[in-house]
Amino acid sequence: MVKNITIFTTNTCAYCVMVKKWLGAKGYRYEEVNLDVNPERQKEAFEMSGQMAVPVTVVTKQDDSKEVVVGYNLSKLAPALA
Amino acid sequence: MTQQEVHDVVMIGAGPAALTAAIYTTREDIDTVLFEKGVIGGLAAVTDWVDNYPGFPKGISGLDLAQGLNEQAERFGAVIRLGEVFGIAETNGLKKLSTSDGDIFAKSVLIATGSDYKKIGVPGEQEFYGKGVHYCATCDGAFYRDKRLVVVGGGNSAVQEAIFLTRFATHIDLLVRGDKMRASEILQKELKEHADKITVHMNTTTDEIVGNEEGKVVAVKGTDKTNNSEVEVAADGVFVFVGLSPNTDFLQGTDIRLDEIGMIVTDANLETSMPGVFAAGDVRSGATMQIASATGEGATAALMIRKYLENKDKHVVTPPVPAVADVST
Repeated sequence: MVKNITIFTTNTCAYCVMVKKWLGAKGYRYEEVNLDVNPERQKEAFEMSGQMAVPVTVVTKQDDSKEVVVGYNLSKLAPALA
Repeated sequence: MTQQEVHDVVMIGAGPAALTAAIYTTREDIDTVLFEKGVIGGLAAVTDWVDNYPGFPKGISGLDLAQGLNEQAERFGAVIRLGEVFGIAETNGLKKLSTSDGDIFAKSVLIATGSDYKKIGVPGEQEFYGKGVHYCATCDGAFYRDKRLVVVGGGNSAVQEAIFLTRFATHIDLLVRGDKMRASEILQKELKEHADKITVHMNTTTDEIVGNEEGKVVAVKGTDKTNNSEVEVAADGVFVFVGLSPNTDFLQGTDIRLDEIGMIVTDANLETSMPGVFAAGDVRSGATMQIASATGEGATAALMIRKYLENKDKHVVTPPVPAVADVST
């Protein structure tokens, strides 16, 4: 079970729009961290994902374990939310 | 018994060509479904700024243009599914599409899957993918505030995105393999206006992306072809825009004819070698790779699809699609 979802995005990232659209269509609520607005959180996104890329979706489960998906990748995003 | 899903037209892709076609078909009350496995709006959506699309005298961001096309198509009833099409086959006078939502049938199909940026295929490119090597400036540029970058390529995308990246990077080296820029004159002029931040290296190949022991990109090695000397440029990241490759892998082994570089061959009506299957936009052999051309082709394809459907309804008796037995009943 999903406890919460955080997405790291930027203003100009079309793939970020797709992740939000897909999550919205599936009825998931999420917190968005816009790195253009909060550049001080870039390091956090990098440490979570190991990549200098967005979108980064962090799925926190009920047991506080986390799954991190980089990019708009439904083959990884859907299982992470299962 | 379960009824098979049959649509008047299924469009594969939801970039400018397909979204425009969908605006036209839905306004004709043609039942239209689009499948998009990537970004709605395609490469246009990940382009920083579009200055040459008619009707926007001040230009428009690629993302805003894509969202506008998306909303316009949905306004008239287009249904966009976030999923993938794996193959097309003829069956009982219909097109059978294998999709991530299962098998779907269509009276006609528009393939508008566009193209993606090519890779350069040099050492370090794969190793540092996402960790210093990128193909989307609007996505990942923000990670390079106050850093040095290399942009590879000499076409419109490379120049446009290098200019976009100046808002983050302290300095950009643009490596251009040829002796001439392929970018438009106006973009080249704009490039010169950023000479304080962008250094252009003509006749320079990109040979290796070099990292350090911490796994970070530190430099790009290349060759100056004028004297065969090695060039090494310090860089924290590399953005690659070296041309496009058509998204047609899923058509391998079908009856749809591709040209020597994998683009879809059509006739003057934009119909492929499989009757009732049309192609438009950047995936079509002979495409000019312009958003305006793609939307124009989308409109043309929609009118050809309408004509095809009218003739099909008049002259062809479509056998009923065999229904699949629902084992639960």
